[in-house]
Amino acid sequence: MINSMIIGKYVPSDSIIHRMDPRAKLLLVFIYVFIVFLANNSVTYIVLTMFTLVLLFLSRIPIAFILRGLKPILWIVLVTFLLHMFMTKEGDLLYQWGRLAIYEGGIKQGIFISLRFLLFIMITTLLTLTTTPIEVTDGVESLLAPLKKLHVPVHELALMMSISLRFIPTLLEETEKIMKAQAARGVDFSGGSFSERVKAIVSLLVPLFINSFKRAEELATAMEARGYRGGEGRTKFRQLTWKPLDTFCLIAVFVLAMILFVLRS
Amino acid sequence: MGITQPKWRALDFTLVGMFAALMAIGANITSWAPFLVIGGVPITLQTFFCVLAGAILGRRLGALAMIIYMLIGLFGAPVFARFSGGFGTIVSPTFGFILSFILSAYVTGLITEKSNHPSMVRFIVAALAGMVINYIVGTNWMYFAYKFWAAAPKGFSYSMAWGWMLVPLPKDLILSVIAGAISPRIYSSIRKSTSYHRYVA
Repeated sequence: MINSMIIGKYVPSDSIIHRMDPRAKLLLVFIYVFIVFLANNSVTYIVLTMFTLVLLFLSRIPIAFILRGLKPILWIVLVTFLLHMFMTKEGDLLYQWGRLAIYEGGIKQGIFISLRFLLFIMITTLLTLTTTPIEVTDGVESLLAPLKKLHVPVHELALMMSISLRFIPTLLEETEKIMKAQAARGVDFSGGSFSERVKAIVSLLVPLFINSFKRAEELATAMEARGYRGGEGRTKFRQLTWKPLDTFCLIAVFVLAMILFVLRS
Repeated sequence: MGITQPKWRALDFTLVGMFAALMAIGANITSWAPFLVIGGVPITLQTFFCVLAGAILGRRLGALAMIIYMLIGLFGAPVFARFSGGFGTIVSPTFGFILSFILSAYVTGLITEKSNHPSMVRFIVAALAGMVINYIVGTNWMYFAYKFWAAAPKGFSYSMAWGWMLVPLPKDLILSVIAGAISPRIYSSIRKSTSYHRYVA
């Protein structure tokens, strides 16, 4: 459990998609979000689906992981589909049962909108599965660097995110340790009445908060002792490198956008 | 000397980062503390931590901690409820609730900053205000998410969205009052045990 929190949902591998620069992947997803809206008929949806499936194939991620990413939104997709199926009254009447009528347009619209959802989630799941949160953070920091001119604290935000990502597993371990320590002192973490549970949670949260504040102080002291002075002119431990592959992928997405633009009705 | 006072102190970074990490734990606390599943409903401590973030870090850093929490979640760390995360979360109709934490923490900070030693009543008011913001932002987001992303047809009305939200309302009301009631304890023990009050307003 702790392990899964550290690396996020990242699935290590050596595929083309894994090796892409996180910046390129972020741009790709960003453009894709707009492209999804270009599709509005059967042909465009087929092209879009094919493109997405090729990306999935290239990532060499087992299909089970992708499906797991889709699971949380399946019910939304289902609700969406049903809403459209029953409420869009276009095209030929296919089926009527009392006041419930299903039209051809409704089914079509339902499939399209559900597919839009699924494709979007697939591509973002792919990003999450092939890129660690820290890589994404680095990528976003680098992409948004021009915003520093507008006094957006890009570097500072990225630093806070790195600190947070770094300390999630530490604080998790701490939570477990505190629970054991308090259980040894007689706190019942297994159940009890409502007020007992409230008391138990207080006995967990007070030390957890105090410990994390102490950690924050120590870390701040350590940073200052090492002369941390903000992002200006700092070098980086993790370097990003833009490769020809990344340029190629971006061109591919633009070509896809153009194809969709021509084919859409 | 020519050295200007930097806008950020190192402690700002570390406190904000730590609170964002605490939020991540609060979202899924039931995985480690199963006793928090009450009547089959897993309790998340998100609203509770969010209120404390506003109260302890102040409105500016408190809101910032929530922004960081939202961002690491979007960037793929499984920090949201039920270990979800990733950019896909943005289209989930419940994303509005995560968004609302930012405003919640800010308002809580505003309410508790007014006094140097906030009373329990003040904390309960702050927690309830946070919850109301949670509902308003969350429900509106849900409505518009269905309206635009899912291109919901006309039959889906605004009152329908609010109707759905009435179900968990009593549970959240009770939890907010409890969160408000135990916050002063945590607040005062942090003030007592760490030197942070020298830094934070």
